[in-house]
Amino acid sequence: MAIQLQQVSYTYADRSLWRQTALHDMNLDLPQGSMVGIAGATGSGKSTLLQLFNGILKPTQGTVSVLDVTIRAGEKPPKLLPLRRRVGLVFQFPEQQMFEETVEKDLIFGPLNFGMSPEQAKEAARKAMTAMGLDHGLLQRNPFHLSGGQMRKAAIASVLAMEPEILVLDEPTATLDPVSRAELIGLLERLCREEGRTIIIVTHRMDELLPYADRWVLLQEGRLAFQGSGAELAADPAVLERCGLTVPQSLRYWRAVAERFGLTGEKPRLTAESLAERIAALREPGGSAAEMRDRYE
Amino acid sequence: MNDRLLLGRSIETGSWVHKLDARSKILAMILYLVIILLAHSWWAMAVLAVFSVSVLSSTKVPLKYYLKAAKPLRYLMLFIFVVQALTVKEGEALFTIGSFSLHEGGLRLAAFSVIRMFLLITFTALLTFTTRPAKLNQGLEGVLTPFKKLGLSPERITLMISIALRFIPTILDESQIIMKAQASRGADLKELPLKEKMRMLVSLLVPVISSAFRRAQDLVYSMEARGFRMDAPRTKYHRPAWGAADSVFILMFVIMGVAVALL
Repeated sequence: MAIQLQQVSYTYADRSLWRQTALHDMNLDLPQGSMVGIAGATGSGKSTLLQLFNGILKPTQGTVSVLDVTIRAGEKPPKLLPLRRRVGLVFQFPEQQMFEETVEKDLIFGPLNFGMSPEQAKEAARKAMTAMGLDHGLLQRNPFHLSGGQMRKAAIASVLAMEPEILVLDEPTATLDPVSRAELIGLLERLCREEGRTIIIVTHRMDELLPYADRWVLLQEGRLAFQGSGAELAADPAVLERCGLTVPQSLRYWRAVAERFGLTGEKPRLTAESLAERIAALREPGGSAAEMRDRYE
Repeated sequence: MNDRLLLGRSIETGSWVHKLDARSKILAMILYLVIILLAHSWWAMAVLAVFSVSVLSSTKVPLKYYLKAAKPLRYLMLFIFVVQALTVKEGEALFTIGSFSLHEGGLRLAAFSVIRMFLLITFTALLTFTTRPAKLNQGLEGVLTPFKKLGLSPERITLMISIALRFIPTILDESQIIMKAQASRGADLKELPLKEKMRMLVSLLVPVISSAFRRAQDLVYSMEARGFRMDAPRTKYHRPAWGAADSVFILMFVIMGVAVALL
């Protein structure tokens, strides 16, 4: 397991008038090398959950195990610097964390802090730029002069340059245009499938992540409402509504097609292309075309 | 979420002090300042302390929150005490070491200064604890209105204050997020030696300042888009109303002032 939570609770401003429990009694298992989507209504504790993954927040109750590091509530945590290199956390609007005068300097900030030599760090920066699909010519530019999408990707690259085993992103596609959004999700999927990194994404747009995610975690008012595969989610979309989320369109289409043609046991097709192919396959000779005609008449 | 910052944060308990007009509370605080300066004897201090504690208790806000408000100034208070005690040479000398001597009068004045400062800070915290920032601001506008004839613009001043108050928590929250983001990139202020800390401060200040400017710009655009004009006559959402309780509140402070001046 890359990340394991056992009976974890987190309370902000514990022992004060403004105390507020953001997470209640969570049990969670996220396997290594998987792509995980986390969804939930606003205020359901998503951002708090992410910050537990690299020790920015320490659980007020329970145990968080990340890779080989264990953080127990009430105990003095181990040195967290090595853990933070291995778990890259990308906050919402990461472009707001950039501060150096060139993109390259911003990219090597993390690697240098984690003890890489300047040459290694620059090499890591170039690799991260490639992985994010950015031109190396941008390295010498001022980050504040990039376009919004480029800045976002450069900021994600600055975390990626630390070569983390687990990459955690809080709404990475928010405020991006549709093309950049699809590109970014594609890039993240490649990092997961080709390089074996664990990718954890918090999203409000489940549609764009549904075709790729291996696992989904749904939160409702600080409690775990669902944990399982996309297919399990497709089988029981009612849980989404209980969490205050709308059922994604791709899931609604698939459910409608599957119920109509008796495909409920199959692997859900959650992109327009794959769904079209599946429907076309129904018309193939070998019985299903006749079956389809019957249903329409 | 910053649980250490008590500045400008109201704590709702629904006590009678919460329900008072903001103007009467501001006036009362000014009177309290005068009373503190009038108090010159141990008796006056004692009476004032009893009065302060009973008013603070009646707000139903736990007293430890008032104590917390004074906590950041504890070193300043210690410093004032030491300087006063060593420099004022009145009354009989208690003891002498070389050129240093500690006098009874010096000790007394030092104690008075610290008590005054402590009472003032803890007591005036009542204003922000029991009044929502918007009401406080409106009260301030009301108190400043008589100065309009001197060319002062109360609207302008209160607008500046309300914008500043409105953005303090926002900018603090944002700095915390940026701090966390940089900590995730290996720049944890808590785990680094001092020299490195200074370098890391840049990684914090540049994003915070640039976002503050961005916010200011957005605010200007959105205010202009909604037709905001400075000094234009405006109607009020909450009409402040001066009631009998407000007069009683002010009267309490006046009586206290007379009593302290006589003691």
